[in-house]
Amino acid sequence: MAHMGRDTIPLILLKEGEEGIIHLVLGGLGLISRLASMGMTSGMKLRVVRNMGGPLIVTTNGTRIAIGKGQAQKIVVRRLAAAKEKADLS
Amino acid sequence: MAGTDLLVALAGQPNVGKSTVFNILTGLSQHVGNWPGKTVEKKEGFYVSDGTRIKIVDLPGSYSLTAYSEEERIARNFIINERPDAIVLIANASAVERSLYLLAEFLLLKVPIIVALNMMDVAEQQGIRIDVGLLEKYLGVPVIPMVASRNQGIKALVSAILSLSEGKKENMPSMADISEDHKNIFIELSDILERYITPPYLIRWTITKIMEGDPDVTEKMSRTVPPDSWSRVQALLRQHEDSLLAVVRGRYDWIEGAVRSAISEFKRGQILFTDRLDHILTRPFPGIPILLGVLALVFSLTYGLGLPLQQFLESFMNSLAMGVEPLFDQSPWLRGIVVDGLIGGAGTVLTFLPVLLFFFAAMAFLEDIGYMARAAFVMDSFMHVIGLHGKSFLPFCLGFGCNVPAVMGARILESGKIRFLTIFLTPFVPCTAKLAVVTLIAAAIFGKNALIMSWALVAGNILILGFTGMIASKLLFKEQHMPFIMELPFYHTPNLRTIGIVVWKRLTTFVKKAGTIIVLFSVLLWLLSHIPGGNIEGSILGFIGQSIEPIGRPIGLDWKMIVALLASVTAKENSIAALGVLYGVGEKGIREILPSVMSPASALSFLVILMLFVPCVATLVVMKQEMGGWRWFLSSFVFMVFLSYISGMAVYQCALMVGI
Repeated sequence: MAHMGRDTIPLILLKEGEEGIIHLVLGGLGLISRLASMGMTSGMKLRVVRNMGGPLIVTTNGTRIAIGKGQAQKIVVRRLAAAKEKADLS
Repeated sequence: MAGTDLLVALAGQPNVGKSTVFNILTGLSQHVGNWPGKTVEKKEGFYVSDGTRIKIVDLPGSYSLTAYSEEERIARNFIINERPDAIVLIANASAVERSLYLLAEFLLLKVPIIVALNMMDVAEQQGIRIDVGLLEKYLGVPVIPMVASRNQGIKALVSAILSLSEGKKENMPSMADISEDHKNIFIELSDILERYITPPYLIRWTITKIMEGDPDVTEKMSRTVPPDSWSRVQALLRQHEDSLLAVVRGRYDWIEGAVRSAISEFKRGQILFTDRLDHILTRPFPGIPILLGVLALVFSLTYGLGLPLQQFLESFMNSLAMGVEPLFDQSPWLRGIVVDGLIGGAGTVLTFLPVLLFFFAAMAFLEDIGYMARAAFVMDSFMHVIGLHGKSFLPFCLGFGCNVPAVMGARILESGKIRFLTIFLTPFVPCTAKLAVVTLIAAAIFGKNALIMSWALVAGNILILGFTGMIASKLLFKEQHMPFIMELPFYHTPNLRTIGIVVWKRLTTFVKKAGTIIVLFSVLLWLLSHIPGGNIEGSILGFIGQSIEPIGRPIGLDWKMIVALLASVTAKENSIAALGVLYGVGEKGIREILPSVMSPASALSFLVILMLFVPCVATLVVMKQEMGGWRWFLSSFVFMVFLSYISGMAVYQCALMVGI
């Protein structure tokens, strides 16, 4: 994909517990503005809570959002240096 | 009390406690209907304060005000066209940034607005401190802290509404700007378009919307602006593809200013309750087993508590029928209409109220504490197989109680096609009434195998739902998957008031249908089965049944069973009553008679057809209403008739072959 720089990856590749900054959202204006209104837009920090092959759960600004795999492929993020793995709950 | 009338609109994103505020303000004065010509719920009500009657309109919940969904379009058209005296924007104090995004959009519309900062308690628990005074100063609009679930802040909100609308206080809002690098485009666009923008539309709002690529505004302007100017506008927008982002960025810069000035967050370190629960509940394992367990619990609770009450009500209806019968000695027709039509038809339907009450209460409880969103999440992968997504799981769950609220529940799906497909598939979810018929007939015919048979029928029904969905979605959605974006609200303690109102609404919808459509059809059915001969054999219905008996042969049904199936369209449980009348069950009871008139193969075929056949009239009516046009509705109707016939035939012939 042309939009992927060296250090940017689609959201779907972030693992659980990892954090990233949204670089850009590909896709139609509808998806972009829908995500923006929920706090997911360029420059926003997010954390992946759940990514187990199905839809993802991310938290951003205190909101948790479930997001389909297809959409997660269209969100390009810059991975943040591994946030300190908080004591894993399990 | 002459008093003045005020019009106040409640706005807010989903999961901010908007309906709680609405319920407190309006209580039982609320009226629920539809927005004209739309399948979006419109709730209105009144609040009276010192002679001022405040009419409160609950705008559909929406994350923003761009015309990408019906809800958003309705909300903003209402603001633009009705110009309410005040708008109360309910914000979630634990996620202020997001709520302020919607505020930024409202401020562009230059409306008198009040921010009701709800869920202050949740914010506090999460270590979020909000300086309301500073926030108010930054935004330039009144901010009222609230905990609606505990009834705190309502009085302050009302007095803010009153002083705002009386002009005692004027809003001096600050507004989000377009980000620096795009200001010139904004100015250029304004130069071209300014003169074509007429009230009630505002210049700044319209230009911003054009930059956002709003489909409605763009379309409207393209029709009013001369072609040469319009092509200049388009050229500008093409050059600056990222105009939308400039608008969004501007809004978040403004929001960041608000957050910096008024909000401080302390250690959010301690793992929140929600995190801990989600860690377990949103994993496929054990999330899905837990979900199945929860549903099993809901069903056993519903039937364990509801069925005894249902049977009690049924015997009550029977004694009521016997009690009033002597009153109609003179007129057998009136007796038939009242006793067999009204009490036997609509009355039987009403006996299911306790079952529905427990079921809806359990579902509303699960929705209210936030669990159903997780259920939708873990079911998403499964639902994808049948071309739907997680959210469709919620209406399907309701369908096990009654298909009517399930069809209406499909409104939570914002994409048109997915909503249509969900409604299309809903009748394949066996409701309490169908389950009652299946249980009764299976018990009568299959003896000790009854339980296995019932389970097999229900499982088969759900499999057919799955296959139909798979095939229909292949035909319908050639493009990619529908977007699945859903907020997962924080878990919270159940609010009995909210649950009560949800249950009340669903039950009253059911009772209203039973009281109108079902009564009408019950009486009509009784007439059809008695005119002109006075008994069923010689009636119109009997005539229809007998004349179409040949088509019943391949599916193993005699004309009486066909008539019972037709009667099931009034309400599914009426098929039992019809069988009772047709086979002249009398005092002996249907369980005694059925085995002698129905072969096991025929019974199986009958039940399969009953489960797949067109749903009851009440469901049909809401399906038509929710699907809008006739095309979807009719194709669904024809499909169900066709599918039930084919399946009945297959089951009957197989059953004969294996010698059941």
